[in-house]
Amino acid sequence: MVQTVAWVTSLFFMIVVAAVFLIVVIKSKEKRDYEPIKKKWYKARTFYATILVIFFIVVTIYTLRELPYDQPVYGEEIKPTIVDVEALQFGWKMSETEFKVGEPIEFHVTSGDVTHGFGIYDENMNLIAQTQAMPAYTNKVYTTFDEPGTYEILCLEYCGLGHHVMIGKLEVTE
Amino acid sequence: MGCLEMTTIVDKGELKSRNSMIATYLVIGGAVIAVMMIFGVLMLLAQGGVLDLSPAAFYQFLTIHGTGMIGAAALAAVGLMWYFLRDYVELSKKVFTWNLILFLIALVMIIVGVFSFEYASAWTFLYPLPALSAGAWGIIGALLYLGGMLVLGTGFLLLYIDTGRAIIRKYGSLGKGLGWDVISGKKDVKDAPPATVIASTMVTIVNTTAIVAGAVVLIMNVINVINPAFTFDPLLAKNLTYAFGHIFANAIIYMGVIVVYEILPRYTNRKWAVNKSFLIAWTMSTAFTLVIYTHHMLMDSVMPKWMLIMGQALSYANGIPVLVVTAYGALMIVYKSGIKWDMASGLAFLSMFGWSVGVVPAIVDATIVVNHVMHNTKWVPGHFHMYMGLGAVVMLFAFMYYLAKVDSNLKPNGLDKLAFVCYTLAMISISAQFLVSGAISTPRRWATHFPEWMGPALFGAIAGVFLVIATSIFITHFIRYIIVRNKTGSDFYERKLA
Repeated sequence: MVQTVAWVTSLFFMIVVAAVFLIVVIKSKEKRDYEPIKKKWYKARTFYATILVIFFIVVTIYTLRELPYDQPVYGEEIKPTIVDVEALQFGWKMSETEFKVGEPIEFHVTSGDVTHGFGIYDENMNLIAQTQAMPAYTNKVYTTFDEPGTYEILCLEYCGLGHHVMIGKLEVTE
Repeated sequence: MGCLEMTTIVDKGELKSRNSMIATYLVIGGAVIAVMMIFGVLMLLAQGGVLDLSPAAFYQFLTIHGTGMIGAAALAAVGLMWYFLRDYVELSKKVFTWNLILFLIALVMIIVGVFSFEYASAWTFLYPLPALSAGAWGIIGALLYLGGMLVLGTGFLLLYIDTGRAIIRKYGSLGKGLGWDVISGKKDVKDAPPATVIASTMVTIVNTTAIVAGAVVLIMNVINVINPAFTFDPLLAKNLTYAFGHIFANAIIYMGVIVVYEILPRYTNRKWAVNKSFLIAWTMSTAFTLVIYTHHMLMDSVMPKWMLIMGQALSYANGIPVLVVTAYGALMIVYKSGIKWDMASGLAFLSMFGWSVGVVPAIVDATIVVNHVMHNTKWVPGHFHMYMGLGAVVMLFAFMYYLAKVDSNLKPNGLDKLAFVCYTLAMISISAQFLVSGAISTPRRWATHFPEWMGPALFGAIAGVFLVIATSIFITHFIRYIIVRNKTGSDFYERKLA
């Protein structure tokens, strides 16, 4: 799951940052001449900066390979189900709410009033996909449900006092 | 002899009045931040299921918390920047005073708008929410809030016009303030502007842009509130809102870091070298801060795709100047320096940790595939509470202790040290609970939570209580400094530290 990867990765690097700062604090008690320190650590910085830039480039390329904006390539016989979604203070108007496992779906999401967020949650309340519901624009979400069950649509952009009651339901069957 | 005495008295009087305006900035900023923390705790208690808040009250708190935090931290950061920048360029005290007056007027307008007229659009006031509240608030509330934001922006804009004017006058241009003539080799690196001037130039450039963008979208909203028949493009409005909000919030840390540049060299007796990589890093920060706001719009697939990809790639790149130059510089200057740790130096170093560590979850969230399942979850407040709460705001507290130290004979006591530890642990806990909540998909800005989301919120609320206590101790120390100083004057100005 993406969230777990994000959390573990963040935790790892945050601990690394914390460790580096802690080591420097511990070492701050000693007193040495600054010139040799500068010489040594400027050299180390060139190495560190190079590694960091390469790392960022690799991660950027890797994570940009498949973007949620791209329409999936469907097989020849397969037509995706298009669901028109209109967000309104404070509810969801959807042209269809019952789907089959494995059915490719395109949610075409807009809003009738203010900006809302269209977030699809699975049965374990994990966010699996989202887009913004904007007035005057239509954003698309491409998804295929792998598991049957009741999925929920939660509003993910603050839209007024009923923001937290803006919950819709989708039924996915085998 | 008589003449010398006169000079001393005049200087002292001038210094006293100059520093008292700065102290006023800091004390107002600090006090507002502390009060906003209380609203934060109340919201977390409500989300944790132990406090029964009406949705109207919750979203009013949300609005005031965000607006107040950003506004107050920016105000205090301006005080900090002004204190150091005036040593290098000639700034207008009148403009400095006007910014404070306009801030206070704005504060009153915003408070009245939110609490008397129940305005609650959150501080992002996404068009057309100010006009379309589903009956929750009316025209007056919206106009007071939007008008208040405009007044606030006007004060800051005047101030940045003045810093820009002063920098151009001394260095020739804003480009030269960023050291472009040194980067291009026209000028020797030893003649490069000092770090404070470079940072102030960067902030002048980005915040002038931000405020102009903000003013445009605020005025468009005002017109729409008065006459709903007058509409405009919601996507353009969103771009302007985030250009304003992202830059203005981020500039706080770029102003705050000046205290780190100024005081760590004094504490360690080491020079913070302004070299070419330092200058390039600040030019990179200037450029990236201006354009990476699109990472707030990664979930708007109607945006041009290249802008969204740029939002990710440049957000990554924006981490480089911080991680490679600024934080690294702070680490180098402290490493084996025999530094004498006290409240000011300790907080300055902590702030660099907070900033660097906050970069990690920020970069993770700017990744489009991650953002697809974490945008607008509590991961987002998680990362910004980290680099604002543990970075930017800590810089402000570092400056408060520094000023009290060099400008009075007031000494921090054991309670201040306890507050330091308490603040650090509390802020780490608050950030962590937000990040954990984000990882389990808890949406942000929800007045109530499902039971499975309540635990982290409650934990955050408890940590928040300790945070409020620690912050109150910091501010009490600063208020004691103001009282002591008013009695004894400014004899201790610019005492040697190392």
